[in-house]
Amino acid sequence: MTATIPKHIAAEGYIPASRQQEAPQKTYKWIGKNLKRVEDPRLLTGHGQYIDDIVMPKMAHAAVLRSDRAHARIKRIDTTKAKALPGVILVMTGEDAKKVTGPTAQFASPPVVQYCIAVDRVRHVGEAVVAVVAESRYVAEDACDLIEVEYEDLPVVVDPEAAIRSSGDAVLHPERGPTNVAHRQTYTYGPIKEDFAKADLVVKRRLRWGRSGAQPLETTGAIASFEPGSGKFTLYANSSFINYVGWLVGASLGVPAAKLNVIPCVTGGSFGSKLFTHKVMTLAATLARAAGRPVKYIEDRIDSTTNCDNHGSDRIYRCELALKRDGTMLALRFQVIDDYGAYLQFGYGTHGNSLCQIVGPYRIGSIEMELVAVLTNKCQQGAYRGFGSEVTNWMLERMADAAADELKMDPLDLRRKNLIQPDQFPYVIPSGNVYDSGNYPAVMNEALRLADLPRWKKVQAEARSQGRCVGIGVATCQERSVFSATEFWSLNPTDTPGFTLTSSPESVQLRVDPTGIVHVTLGSPFWGNSPETMATQLVAEQFQIDPAQINVVYADTQTGFNSTGPGGSRFTVMIAGAIVGASAKVKAKMLRIAGHMMETHQADLEFRDGKIGVKGVPGKEKTIGDVSLYAHYFRLNLPEGDDFASGLDANYVYDHPLTTMPAKDRSHLGIFYPIMGHMCHMALVEVDPRTGKVKILDYVAVHDAGTVVNPVTLAGHIRGGTAQGIGTALYEKFHYDETGQLLTATFADYLMPTLYEMPPEIRVGHVETPSPYTEYGIKGGGEGGRMGAPGALSRGIEDALSAYGVRCDELPLTPRRVRELVRAAERK
Amino acid sequence: MKPAAFDYIRPGSLPEALAALARHGAAARILAGGQSLVPMMNLRVVKPEMVIDVNRVPGLGEIRVDGGELVIGALARHAALLASELVKKHCPLMAEAYPWVAHGPIRNRGTLGGNISHADPASEMPAVLAACDAKIIARSAKATRTIAAKEFFVAPLTTTLAAGEMLTEIRIPSAPAGQGWSWQEEAVRKGDFAMAAVGVTLRVAGGRCTQAGVAVGGMERAGVRLAKVEAHLVGVALDEARIASAAKLAAELVQPGDSYHADARYKRELVEALTVRALTTARGRCL
Amino acid sequence: MAALSISLKVNGAAVSRTVEPRTLLSDFLRDELDLKGTHVGCEHGVCGTCTVLIDGQAVRSCLTFAVQADGCAIRTVDGLAQGGQLNLLQQGFWEKHGLQCGFCTPGMLMVATELLERNANPSADEIREAVSANLCRCTGYYNIVESIQHAVTLMKQGAK
Repeated sequence: MTATIPKHIAAEGYIPASRQQEAPQKTYKWIGKNLKRVEDPRLLTGHGQYIDDIVMPKMAHAAVLRSDRAHARIKRIDTTKAKALPGVILVMTGEDAKKVTGPTAQFASPPVVQYCIAVDRVRHVGEAVVAVVAESRYVAEDACDLIEVEYEDLPVVVDPEAAIRSSGDAVLHPERGPTNVAHRQTYTYGPIKEDFAKADLVVKRRLRWGRSGAQPLETTGAIASFEPGSGKFTLYANSSFINYVGWLVGASLGVPAAKLNVIPCVTGGSFGSKLFTHKVMTLAATLARAAGRPVKYIEDRIDSTTNCDNHGSDRIYRCELALKRDGTMLALRFQVIDDYGAYLQFGYGTHGNSLCQIVGPYRIGSIEMELVAVLTNKCQQGAYRGFGSEVTNWMLERMADAAADELKMDPLDLRRKNLIQPDQFPYVIPSGNVYDSGNYPAVMNEALRLADLPRWKKVQAEARSQGRCVGIGVATCQERSVFSATEFWSLNPTDTPGFTLTSSPESVQLRVDPTGIVHVTLGSPFWGNSPETMATQLVAEQFQIDPAQINVVYADTQTGFNSTGPGGSRFTVMIAGAIVGASAKVKAKMLRIAGHMMETHQADLEFRDGKIGVKGVPGKEKTIGDVSLYAHYFRLNLPEGDDFASGLDANYVYDHPLTTMPAKDRSHLGIFYPIMGHMCHMALVEVDPRTGKVKILDYVAVHDAGTVVNPVTLAGHIRGGTAQGIGTALYEKFHYDETGQLLTATFADYLMPTLYEMPPEIRVGHVETPSPYTEYGIKGGGEGGRMGAPGALSRGIEDALSAYGVRCDELPLTPRRVRELVRAAERK
Repeated sequence: MKPAAFDYIRPGSLPEALAALARHGAAARILAGGQSLVPMMNLRVVKPEMVIDVNRVPGLGEIRVDGGELVIGALARHAALLASELVKKHCPLMAEAYPWVAHGPIRNRGTLGGNISHADPASEMPAVLAACDAKIIARSAKATRTIAAKEFFVAPLTTTLAAGEMLTEIRIPSAPAGQGWSWQEEAVRKGDFAMAAVGVTLRVAGGRCTQAGVAVGGMERAGVRLAKVEAHLVGVALDEARIASAAKLAAELVQPGDSYHADARYKRELVEALTVRALTTARGRCL
Repeated sequence: MAALSISLKVNGAAVSRTVEPRTLLSDFLRDELDLKGTHVGCEHGVCGTCTVLIDGQAVRSCLTFAVQADGCAIRTVDGLAQGGQLNLLQQGFWEKHGLQCGFCTPGMLMVATELLERNANPSADEIREAVSANLCRCTGYYNIVESIQHAVTLMKQGAK
């Protein structure tokens, strides 16, 4: 493979060699099959064991009193009446909690300190001010009603641009400095000045990405119990990073990791919001220790909308795209102001993330980003499907469409002209990340074919002749998978980068029991992805056994190996690597033993149909069960040496298949998110200019996620992700008024799509360009549709309203907003 | 989000219910379908001391025709009304508006009486009743009175019902033969509360409009009749120009209020667009 | 207020308990009867995750007090599978990938059960109307519709 590497990055040995063991094949027995999900039977019967389903003896229940104001000093809290209420076990203020529990885990440097209960001030509406433990959630909420809090209001900042100018008492974290600007730095990758100097045209736009959030139907919760004799906490939590950084909760609690066991639960959706639910875990554990009883704390829906710590990106972009007159993209520079809310748990990771695909699928030669991260009186950002890259995808597609308009080019032609070509991979982009493989023209062509673009154009023409506004939007976007830990700190100041972790592994424990069942222990939990099904299909492929012979279970933090968790579309790729590694060890041993049992050379043996047999000799074989029984119980019948120790098991820690450090001077960020998928989304929309209502008439989504393990489950993520993209583009916003009140705190106002808001169908297509770096060439596809839909829909609406000359540069495009755009255009 | 504690009675008759209401007055709330009341209780926006569950009071859920009126008991469920042939025949405006009301499971429990008493300005039925000249029968332990629907709604979530009074029946004059109707609504998502809604009844004779009922939903107050718009329509031919001017007038007259989803200006624009649609469609249905 | 006695049927079994008036039916089912299948998503009647059947009608259990269910027959997802076997509706969801995280699934199964018990041959529009009452954040809904359509087919085959 000849790589494409920009001049400012030293080419010699930049891309490490591939560690791929299993190359992609033409046919598989289990990979690529639509196996019915292993997870489903228990979920269908209501036996999922979600966090709120778990009951411990003597369990008590917690509720929090939430701040009703956006920014204030806490002057006085009177909990007397609350404490006296029958059924109340404990009432804890932030000051009480701080005596025994330190700040919650976070990745910003310098830190932005947060406690599980606000200590001396509240920084957003909804922040916890007091926690109550009672015999029931009902009584705990009664107690909250009896608590009196005296506040001294402080100035409220909700506008990110105003936040930049704010000072004095408006500063949320004065200990960090006299400003709400948490970070301002310009990052330059490549010859930006020279590239702009060559431009025939510079397209400029201001873009506004509104604040939405994951809002899974299950909220975040934890159940904690504390055993005073041993000083040990047991926590049930619907959190993903438990076997990665779960011990950080112990650090907050002041206990070593040995005194903390976190047990994962089946999780009712996350989309990133449950990656690391440190605050809820820390709170539940603090309360359990103080109460002397197990404590369950489940966020209710208002807790979640106002205090989940997982709102999505909230950004203002000022962009300039430099192009030649023929449409060749040269360079992109932009300022992005990101309103992080009141805290900064993941640092600027959402921008580190977006730098992995910041040129999109285009051959843009240089990038300059001025990042201005501000803090405001809102719930803090966390992770939401895309983790910041979905925003830059939208930004890039807005700029591409703007360029096409200004150059009077067909937007498809402009894109075609700039797409990275199939023979240019692996392709290193200016920020240093690698795109491992791809065929972007093939994806676009498949989308055009599925949509039947000529038919869409006919529909559009007919509608226009009737005076109706119908438009077509196309987005061609990257979909990176398998993040590397460097994204969390690579943008931090180089002298104080903070916790500079560089591992993001996934582990598996494989064990074949004496009856021949393969037990697979995962270190990461289920959150609506299909880890058991993926593991089953992969193990079935490795051992050539029936899925019914495979049992998948989940480890807690006492027994789990280093496993990062689902997120960043990484899980299938990483578990494939871990399974291939562990299977190799176990299979090698099985071949040794089978060879001994059948007095045959190992090289002559193969795994087939649940057996190990001699190649080319149908009858000469032993079942997996035979071999395993022998391996467990017949030590003296086997040769000496560790190779034949009783049992069949292996652990394997699979590290990121392709990642490197950022340059010390940050002239590039190294390779940190290279398993690169791609998508083309196309939307046919009708807009009523009088009412601003948008109807999606037709929709196509073609994705390239490399080798596909289970097409139906991947299509599920694509459609579900597109639904969230539709929500982000057209409906969802966490809207704070000027006093910092969240006006969209209930599901009556935070509007997510129902079936009626979806297009009649979403036709899903697959193109498979395998990765040269991952096992079987699999790429991640879980984040999927949300990363492309906003671009396609924005353009579709713009195209529909082309007679008005409307620009769709702000999301969400609610009916009111679209009507405002039309009205403004009519006035001109 | 758990409700605050309350006392609970489940009267077995209307006199029992009214007696309880008289005893507890403003400290009590009537529980019918609960689809409006219980969310408020769960959010602790309301904390009644006493909840009077009228769901087992017999005879309150009837849908019948009596002397030229469609008579709907307070406990008639939305689902029953949506499916009712009597409603289709005698109040087609209600039948057309019903699919816009919430979703199936809400309609299974929610009652028209409860919905009207709740007086949410963004709810559909108050506008339907106002447009159709409905009458509301309210009873207390001591008295019964009849209130015109267009006078029933005084402010958001507030009606003219006094403490101790309960809505027991709604009476709607049967739609006269040849009357046209139309319900037009814009909500952000199907099933959401209306950003704006217009309900129209019309009669035409000899090429001129002889009757018009125009009511709006989604504005500041529920169940508002636009008498001036009606006056603008009656006695003249309903051509495109007249409909357009009526719609403009409607947009000027309404008091839209402001909300996150729709500000006043946008609501006025919606009212204008929806009034055109409603008048045009209703005119087309006149016989 | 002191607890009140209620007697009802839940998934065919007679149940007698005393409850506080304010106990929501969703909490009664989950906490008092240990039937964890019914999930709680919003507690203000919008998401539909908590949907159960009361006397054959789909109802949001978070908007119903347990005392209101006195004398009623409640059915929940916990009672759908018979003798450890998925019923045909559940089978339909399994075969057509009608769930991802599974949290909204009990509510979807119950609105589908109401639909199919009223009409064994629902139109596409009727299925859409039923499904649109509930929120799902994972699937985008299409597979849920397909699952119900598939269940209709399975039921027709089973009836033969």
